[in-house]
Amino acid sequence: MAIGVVTVKRPPERWSSSQPYFAILKGLGVSIRHFLHNLLLFARGQQDFTVHFPEQRLVQPPAMRGMPVLVQMDNGKERCVACGMCEWACPTNCISIFPAETNDEVERYPEVFDIDMSRCMFCGFCEEACPEEAIVMSRQIEIASYSRRGSLWHKQDLLVPVAELKTRLDHLRRQYEH
Amino acid sequence: MAEAPKLAKITVDGRVIEAPAGIPLLQAMLDAELDIPHYCYHPKLTIDGSCRLCQVKIEGMPKLQISCNTQVRDGLVVSTQDPEVALARRGVMELLLLNHPLDCPICDKAGECWLQNFSMRFGSKISRGLEPRRKRQKRIDIGERMLLDQERCILCRRCVRFCREVSKTYELGTFRLGDRTVLDIYAGRRLDNDYSMCTADICPVGALETKDFHHKVRVWFLEEVGSVCSGCANGCNIHISTYKNRIWRLTPRRNDAVNETWMCDAGRLTYKAVADPQRLRIPLVAANGTLAPVDWPAAIAAAASAMGDLQKQHGAAALGAIASPHLSNEESYCFGRLLAALGVEHRAMAVRRGKADDLLIKAEKAANARGVRELGLVRGADDGVEELLQACERGVVRGLYVCGDDLLAAVDRERLARILGGLELLIVQVTTLEDAFKSAQVVFPTTMLAEKDGTVTNHAGRVQRIEQAVRPPDGWLTDGAIFTALLNHLQSREEKFAVPEIWRALEQDGTAFARIRFAELGAYGAPLA
Repeated sequence: MAIGVVTVKRPPERWSSSQPYFAILKGLGVSIRHFLHNLLLFARGQQDFTVHFPEQRLVQPPAMRGMPVLVQMDNGKERCVACGMCEWACPTNCISIFPAETNDEVERYPEVFDIDMSRCMFCGFCEEACPEEAIVMSRQIEIASYSRRGSLWHKQDLLVPVAELKTRLDHLRRQYEH
Repeated sequence: MAEAPKLAKITVDGRVIEAPAGIPLLQAMLDAELDIPHYCYHPKLTIDGSCRLCQVKIEGMPKLQISCNTQVRDGLVVSTQDPEVALARRGVMELLLLNHPLDCPICDKAGECWLQNFSMRFGSKISRGLEPRRKRQKRIDIGERMLLDQERCILCRRCVRFCREVSKTYELGTFRLGDRTVLDIYAGRRLDNDYSMCTADICPVGALETKDFHHKVRVWFLEEVGSVCSGCANGCNIHISTYKNRIWRLTPRRNDAVNETWMCDAGRLTYKAVADPQRLRIPLVAANGTLAPVDWPAAIAAAASAMGDLQKQHGAAALGAIASPHLSNEESYCFGRLLAALGVEHRAMAVRRGKADDLLIKAEKAANARGVRELGLVRGADDGVEELLQACERGVVRGLYVCGDDLLAAVDRERLARILGGLELLIVQVTTLEDAFKSAQVVFPTTMLAEKDGTVTNHAGRVQRIEQAVRPPDGWLTDGAIFTALLNHLQSREEKFAVPEIWRALEQDGTAFARIRFAELGAYGAPLA
């Protein structure tokens, strides 16, 4: 025997773990048990554990990071001033902004604000970088589309009224309170 | 030659530095690559001492001294790391930031702002301000190309001194006293001088902004390439700032032998021609009375065979050529080789002329007229233009190869139209296709300086590097590549246009450039003689 080799004493192989068919049946057994359990409860008209998406939806906690959206102020305009911090922070380079000037008090706004949702990875860096609380992670997760072009969300598609984002904005402020 | 200044030995934070006696202590410390915060000091302007940020502790002096207004002399012992200095800096920063608006997200200076940088390094992390910030006028239209934001101004008066000392136009000043002081233009004046945009460069904050770059791109996205301005023969050193393969601004690059730290407004806006939608993007060849777009090899073949046919019919003297002062030295050399191979004797160079002044702006509105002359492509006081035009009128020259658009500006339009109309062959290489050139058989698009590598020679014979900042479209031939391709076609050879090889040839040919080594040009160039 070569030097340095240690023979480990292993437990004897059990019949159940060496038989894959049995493991499959064991797994199926769990599914079937749940199925029958739900079926029985459903037949009795009692509790139902499955959420019937999309007819039913769970209310996600505010910490949930869905797709990033732009905060729309009460006057219908975006809070964003096109400072480009999110564009810089974005690890996947999915944001592209072109600024423009207005005569409002806040003189700058994004003329173009595009997010390529097929590249977004929901890391939330854009939200963290934003100095104006203008881009936040929403609870919206339905971003599938039939074409690549459809994955490119423009400013008008991204605007969400501030009232709808209240829970997330409150959550963010709580995060930065300390 | 001036006598070398006496060197003085000073000690800064225990380190001995040698510097010429009499220069500002701040400059000596900056030259020794010490990190000293400062706003009002600028190496090319007089000393103002208004920002108070460069204070240091000097042994033997009771109070802290501003290093910009302290002259270097032997035996100075300076401390920049003393707690007293750090406290003074923090105090100055706090006062500067007391009323500074929180505009950073919309300020074009953000990212290259001295106030941002120094407050991150030397300022306090928290604000103790209780009162609301002072309101001032914002976005004041003070000139054709400039905007002023009085809230952001920290009153370093660099711009005021610039207008007094460099442009000598006296438009800007500070008004009122104490904490009511504001920067403004004098009544009835506008900041419209030829160098007004330099005030935005030297402004350490975003108080003075150019309208051209206002709300365009955040500076941290920009990539900078060192190059030379194509606006006139002065050859000011510049940085070309690009983002997404597009030029967004030009800023001066310091070169004390050429432009110090300045450049003119006209030169700064020359970049617009590169992305001009009117610009010619594809070669055109005449077919059935109109110019039709073709691919590059077809245009090269058409031009080469047309020139060959003309010379077969009428002899070598029937072809004339107009060189362009916008091409690099290497491309001009290639053009010279092409003309020599064709035996073209009637040569000229047309240069557009304009306004000139004593500071930087030169009359010849092209970057490389001197280089073309040094290469011996053209002769005579007017670079042979009149002689060539007369040869055309006499019917000696029946075909012309015109490089560059400047011919249109240098010659009377009616006369030019008559001459060009009477030619049998016209090949042009231009940026935009003007009506005068519509009778051409072959039209090549020309490349801008920002799109190619090489060197240019300024009015004083200084050879300076240019570097490619933006890529032309795929398959595009630069001017040098067009000449090389034509020569390849005529002589059935396979050569490529490569700048280092051209320099080897320039040396072997014993041209005026033989003394200069391309690899040793560096950022600041070298004089021809």
